[in-house]
Amino acid sequence: MMMNENPADLLPELCVLGGAVLGLLCGMFLPRARQWIVGVLCAAALVAGLVFAGLAARRADMTVFESFVLDPVTHVTRGVVLAATLFVVVLAMRPLRGDRRETEFYVLVLLAALGAVVMGMTSDLLVLVAGYLVASIPAYALAGFAKDAAGTEAALKYYLMGAFFGIFMLAGIALLYGAGRATSYEALGAGPGGVVAVGVVGLLAGLFFKAGVVPAHFWVPDVAQGASRVVAAFVTTVPKVGAFAALYRVAVGFGGGFDLSLLLALVAAATMTLGNLAAFGQDNVRRLLGYSTISQAGYLLVPVAVAGRSGMAEPAVLYYLAAYAITNVGAFAVVVAAGRDEVDGYRGFARRSPLVAVALVICLLGLIGTPPTAVFVGKLLMFGAAVDGGYGWLAVVAAVNSVASVFYYLRWVVPMFARGDEWAGALDRRAAVLAVIAAVGSVVVGVGSGVVLAL
Amino acid sequence: MSALAWSLPALPLVAGGFLLVGRRWVTDRVAPVVGVGVGVVVLGLALWAAFARPAVRFRLFEGVPAGLAVDGLSAVMVVVVAVVALAVLVYAAGMVLGARFFGLMLVFVGAMLVTVTATDLALLLMGWEVMGAMSYALIGFWWRDAWRVEAADVAFLTTRTGDLGLYLAAGCALAGTGTLELGGLAGAGGGWRDLVAGGVVLAALGKSAQLPFSFWLSRAMAGPSPVSALLHSATMVAAGAYLLLRVSPLLEATGWAASVVAWVGALTALLLGGVALAQRDLKQLLAASTCAQLGFMVLAAGVGGLAGGTVHLVAHAAVKSLLFLCAGAWLTALGTKDLGELSGAARRYRVVGVTFGVGALALAGFPPLSLWFTKDAVLAAAAEKSPWLYAVGLAAGVLSAGYAAKALFAVWRPGGRAGERVGVLEKVPLVVLAVAAVVLGVLGVPQVWGAWGRLLGDASAPLPGVVELVVSGVLAVVVVGVSARWRVGEVRWAEQWFYLERAAGLVVARPVVALARGLARFDDRVVDGGVRAAASTGRALASVADRRIEPRVDGVVTALGAGARRLGSAARRPQTGQVHTYYAQAAVLFAVLVVVVLLVG
Repeated sequence: MMMNENPADLLPELCVLGGAVLGLLCGMFLPRARQWIVGVLCAAALVAGLVFAGLAARRADMTVFESFVLDPVTHVTRGVVLAATLFVVVLAMRPLRGDRRETEFYVLVLLAALGAVVMGMTSDLLVLVAGYLVASIPAYALAGFAKDAAGTEAALKYYLMGAFFGIFMLAGIALLYGAGRATSYEALGAGPGGVVAVGVVGLLAGLFFKAGVVPAHFWVPDVAQGASRVVAAFVTTVPKVGAFAALYRVAVGFGGGFDLSLLLALVAAATMTLGNLAAFGQDNVRRLLGYSTISQAGYLLVPVAVAGRSGMAEPAVLYYLAAYAITNVGAFAVVVAAGRDEVDGYRGFARRSPLVAVALVICLLGLIGTPPTAVFVGKLLMFGAAVDGGYGWLAVVAAVNSVASVFYYLRWVVPMFARGDEWAGALDRRAAVLAVIAAVGSVVVGVGSGVVLAL
Repeated sequence: MSALAWSLPALPLVAGGFLLVGRRWVTDRVAPVVGVGVGVVVLGLALWAAFARPAVRFRLFEGVPAGLAVDGLSAVMVVVVAVVALAVLVYAAGMVLGARFFGLMLVFVGAMLVTVTATDLALLLMGWEVMGAMSYALIGFWWRDAWRVEAADVAFLTTRTGDLGLYLAAGCALAGTGTLELGGLAGAGGGWRDLVAGGVVLAALGKSAQLPFSFWLSRAMAGPSPVSALLHSATMVAAGAYLLLRVSPLLEATGWAASVVAWVGALTALLLGGVALAQRDLKQLLAASTCAQLGFMVLAAGVGGLAGGTVHLVAHAAVKSLLFLCAGAWLTALGTKDLGELSGAARRYRVVGVTFGVGALALAGFPPLSLWFTKDAVLAAAAEKSPWLYAVGLAAGVLSAGYAAKALFAVWRPGGRAGERVGVLEKVPLVVLAVAAVVLGVLGVPQVWGAWGRLLGDASAPLPGVVELVVSGVLAVVVVGVSARWRVGEVRWAEQWFYLERAAGLVVARPVVALARGLARFDDRVVDGGVRAAASTGRALASVADRRIEPRVDGVVTALGAGARRLGSAARRPQTGQVHTYYAQAAVLFAVLVVVVLLVG
């Protein structure tokens, strides 16, 4: 890879940063009724970032500033993070219209997204820490954005857990630096075995926190339930993308005297199983989706565990990330559209709005992994990578978990189509449209998987 | 030009279809106007097509060319069909028949036009089948009378049996020549040619009610008189003769088909003439005579007399439709078609009586009326092949004079009673057709005959000799004269059409039904028994599974569900909601992970 110090290679990130700064400045001078302009500005910045990311994806791989890698992992991370953030921004415009701190919301979302991208594209431990903090701190503020009791509690828990695992991470990085005398991933694992083992577990603890993986998953259901619906959609989707990209880079780059893959495989199995089991009894759909994202994180960790052992690992991670992001935001968009949190609140919803109900069904079937949705292809790649990488038992665990997950997703679907119940309530039209778009996108990406994977 | 070829059949088909389905917009009062109007336009198109000779070719199926074309024979046919159809439609407009009737009639006309202009078997079959279906629907037009529907069933099934031959012919033609072109059938190789010829002959004999299929035409008389006039005398039944005339090169090529056809035609003319002579019912007499006259056309096809057969077809169409319309007029006015009760009918209804008289004399072969000449034109062609055929034909001619005279004198006898009046709409077509019945004899003038032969591509058609003409003319006059004195009685077996229908029932229908019953029994006992045995075995196994296996499986499933639920609640237990317990759990677990890494490492 050739070295380069051209800031233009980071144009997508600069667009997001510029959008956030410019939005903050504009927000100071705009009257409350017209703060939506900041939302449009931020959306425009994200679109510009997407365009530049798309252009950058056509160029050869390289490293800029000795710490940012421009390779397929980065391209996909950028694309998915920016697209999901754009989705969330548009989703937020209606519920936030006229809010006193509307500008701050958009700016925080953009900054958190920036942090996620930085985490995903860096190859240096110190930049990773910076990305971790940029991704985390705005997210804490977002969790408590509504200033209600539940949101405040969620924000506090989110922050405390983040701080805790942040310390693990910093300590781990300090140990690795001490052992390997470098912060680049290339030097990862050099040094005495015991120190490296403790250090790498500490590093992984921080990443597990962002990814919502056992045993750093505790914040996920609490935040998904306590924060506002839009924020829940954001924090269960965007930071994970960056975290998994970083996890994949660490897993590939780790050159210690021992194998990380077994550790990752055990964590993956535990994560998917725990997430699924805990989701069984949930009556709150946001909590249900929170546990669902934990189990999805478990599936996503499978190809990370076999990184470097199977050629299918990288496409599996990247494809699954994109599929998961589009499907998860779609499901949350339905929650935003309906404005209900209880499973029973969706009784008769299909009669009221068949299209949105079908969109939700598609998203949930997608999360189960039903053909022809995108996650199905992602899961297929994941199974393939696991078997190919010598972790057949992990594929079996994942398959059993997929089957078990049908139960709780259907618990949400069945009441929607129950006869005789009237669903009364207002429907957020914009969110409904976004949900349908996400559902269609999920099917299109799934059906067109051959084309997508060829890119 | 192709537009003309398309629109000629398409117009009546579309208009008829519209009358059938669009009864919400077209009331029964408007329908006759629409019907007659379409009839006029179709006649115009037919005349235009007869001169312009349009042709269109297209692909019906992949690799099988199809087409519609008007050549000499087709030109004659389309004009005849259009003229008779118009006359009958005008006549029907005077009756109370409704939109359904006119719709069916127009669809029939369209199908007939397709049949006579098709250049390939597939298209011809389509028209042929639609004609059959319309014939069925029109015979059973008054469907509330069960016997009419039954008659329609008999007619339909009988003609369908013959139609199978046409399917056979089409299949064999495709196998033998690779196309379905009518012109290429004679070129089929080997055994295919015989099969094609056999199939075509079967279908044509069925459609034209030749022996042994004749009985269906008797049952077809259950339909309204205009239907009898158009379908069952002038056009549809003539389609069989037309088809045979069209493929006479094929019949010639096989060596056997031509003579079979000729003899079947001749015998039908003779025997059904006898049947006609024995009738007591006017419509039945006319139906039998139709079979007999069609026999002359079939005979002509068998002996290659294209010009003679066609001219007989044309003249007979005019004469017979006229006679049927007259019979229908009396049936409506007097409520009877029994020859005994029709006494004086002609005297009371002068226009109907005179036109009927003209038609009957023409049918008798009375010189110089049309059929006198046309029949002899056929016989002249037959004489070239075999004197026996000529003799049989001449005898048949004598019989035709006999039955025509019988009908004629029956209606002109004095006596009888008054009935309802006959409307002007009914009378106009009678007069027109009567004029046609008279003047079509002009084709016998040698110069005209030559032109006729060239029109049909049969320029060497023999003109009947003077002696023959005189003989047949004298015979006709004598027979008519004798009939004035002696009335022929009804012979039971001839009146019943030789019990042909009963024979068909005995020889064909009964064995088929018996076979079907046997097969049904086999199906019920053997095949169904196996199925039922399989089903009961399945149910027995299912009940065993239900009682023995299912509870255990169900227990396992229930236990699994309960276990999963317990595990689920256990999985939620770490989620205490209290941060310090989260911290403790996470710290412990990461310590475990460090140990795992160290142990593995």
